[in-house]
Amino acid sequence: MKAALLVVLLAAMLDGCASQVLSIRTVPDQTPAADNAAAAANAAAFAEAAAAESANDSPQAAQEAPPLLTPADAPSMYTYDPWERLNRFTYRFNARFDEAIFLPVADTYGRAPRPIRAGIHNFFGNLAEIDSIINYTLQWRLKYGWRSLTRLAINSTLGIGGLFDVATKLKLPGTPTGFATTLAKWGMHPGPYLVIPLLGPSTLRDGVGFLGDYGTEYGINVFNLYRGDVSWGLGTVNAVDQRANVSFRYYSGGSPFEYETVRFLYVRRRLIEDEGLRAKEAVKKPAVEAPAGK
Amino acid sequence: MASLPAKVPLSEIRAELPWRLPVPQVLWFDAKLRVWLSAQDKPAPLAIVIAGTGSDGNTKTISILRAALYGAGYHVLTMPSPTSPEFIVSASSTGVPGDLMRDGKDLYAAMQEIIAHLPRKVRITDIDVVGYSLGGANAAIVKSIDATEQKLKIHRVVMINPPVSLFSSVGRLDRLFTATIGPGDQGVELLYRRLYAQIANLYRASDRLELDENFLLSAGAATLKTDAEFSQAIALTFRLQLVDMFFIGDLYAKTGVSTDPAHPPKVGDSLEAIQRELRAKPFAEYFTRVFAPYYLKRRPDATSASLIASNRLDIISDTLRSGGDYYAQTTSNDLILNRRELAWLQDTLGSRIVVYDHGGHLGEIGDRQQVADMLEMLSGGWPRSTQ
Repeated sequence: MKAALLVVLLAAMLDGCASQVLSIRTVPDQTPAADNAAAAANAAAFAEAAAAESANDSPQAAQEAPPLLTPADAPSMYTYDPWERLNRFTYRFNARFDEAIFLPVADTYGRAPRPIRAGIHNFFGNLAEIDSIINYTLQWRLKYGWRSLTRLAINSTLGIGGLFDVATKLKLPGTPTGFATTLAKWGMHPGPYLVIPLLGPSTLRDGVGFLGDYGTEYGINVFNLYRGDVSWGLGTVNAVDQRANVSFRYYSGGSPFEYETVRFLYVRRRLIEDEGLRAKEAVKKPAVEAPAGK
Repeated sequence: MASLPAKVPLSEIRAELPWRLPVPQVLWFDAKLRVWLSAQDKPAPLAIVIAGTGSDGNTKTISILRAALYGAGYHVLTMPSPTSPEFIVSASSTGVPGDLMRDGKDLYAAMQEIIAHLPRKVRITDIDVVGYSLGGANAAIVKSIDATEQKLKIHRVVMINPPVSLFSSVGRLDRLFTATIGPGDQGVELLYRRLYAQIANLYRASDRLELDENFLLSAGAATLKTDAEFSQAIALTFRLQLVDMFFIGDLYAKTGVSTDPAHPPKVGDSLEAIQRELRAKPFAEYFTRVFAPYYLKRRPDATSASLIASNRLDIISDTLRSGGDYYAQTTSNDLILNRRELAWLQDTLGSRIVVYDHGGHLGEIGDRQQVADMLEMLSGGWPRSTQ
């Protein structure tokens, strides 16, 4: 297994080397027509959802909804980063690793036929439902936990061990969650910014969350996939599949301030997601805890 | 929207250029020039596309032009702007961008080096150059250099929304920044707070669990509605690119505005304070504190006024007027041109310019009419006989 992986790595690294002046790497085809159609569909779906929401705005719902955030509620523009020096070195390591190994391998993987890649992607997505079920339960969001459980059942059976995402076709799209979100739900703040080797931008909380997810999978060890002989290769394929599905490129614009930009965007995104968790809690509370007449 | 091909093959090419200056430690990732090639599998003309101010060679705008040109049968080579961080570090002979002729020569040299080393299976029958925004001016300058040097034999050039005077265009963007965001860095902070609250509210109201890219794109579109909001977005985007250029130019020119020339920053050092400081500075300050000191030292005859004058497209006005192969597409409401400059372009290019009545700066790119006209211009069919 290890030897095979090494061959793949070497092939990917040598692939496309031409002259000394130029190094040429074929990247996946662009699909402008399809991209345009998808962008239009996304915009239409967003507009439709917004219209549906505003149609639902009964006076009562407006009362139950938490007050809107104002600009004064926004967190500081600056990010708590006490480990910046180490983080910056890790960021550079990650960028170099991505450029030299991770991305070429992901590109090679990207040339495999789409049904095969979709199967691999679905397979790992299906395994991750177990962690989602546990974490939705810990978050006490049982509706979503039930959805994950249903998805796991449908996709493991009708979807032949998770290779096909039948549940999404049955209007049950995946909504993965993890221990990091559970910690957020329990009220833990993101904490210091943290760049994790190989994994990338994170925070202390999200890093702990990642360890929690891994620990859960390792502990449950479905079909001995996480501790057996195949675990190493399986983890690698999972990582490559995830990388192939993320379009981020290190230093694509070459900006000297990319570290700052990525840190800013990552932490802001997580903070907004936290706002979302709190908002849903605030809406639920009166309904669950204080039914009229009790 | 013009109809676009279903598939466009793409290669990423990294070029190590022999004349590269020593790379500052904090810019290690910009050591190689990154260009992108979409090659036809038969002999075809090559269209080189040059990006706008500060941009790399694979932007959204570039993707649209690449798709249109590839679909029309061109090999397409897309290149970053000579003012982009990557180009400054990997391909500039000065490290101090902004001089139209100097940048043009660097760009021309990089084009030659890359084309000379392309795989032999890419068979090129002719070379045309397209550029948008500042890239349009770069394209015209490169062709004018080639007209005497004859190394590439560039055939036709299409400038899309070019500036006429680099500094007056940039000055307008700076004034836009002050007018819509405010002077200094406080305006940026206020804008950030407003956007954060808007996007957070949209997200809370939606039923989504994860803040993904699609949501952000849609939310961004939803928060950009009024002209004032668009102006803010344009002004901020430009300012952030200027910050990159300012920092790198200052580092190379050793002018000490944001860094100590004797102790340049290293990989582990935080750059946030520098970024914050430079974000409050307009282009005029780059000119007076980095660009002018650098060039005045090296060009004994030059003055600040002559440096500004040499950054106008009219340094090649005779060529533009008489050489039939220069074309332009622009809009009547492009914010980087004033009325006089637009009139100058129209007067100079005559029937070789088309002015659309909407689109602003670059908004018309990808429209059916714009693409059709660009392809006519490149193929020599412009002006259409029916017009």
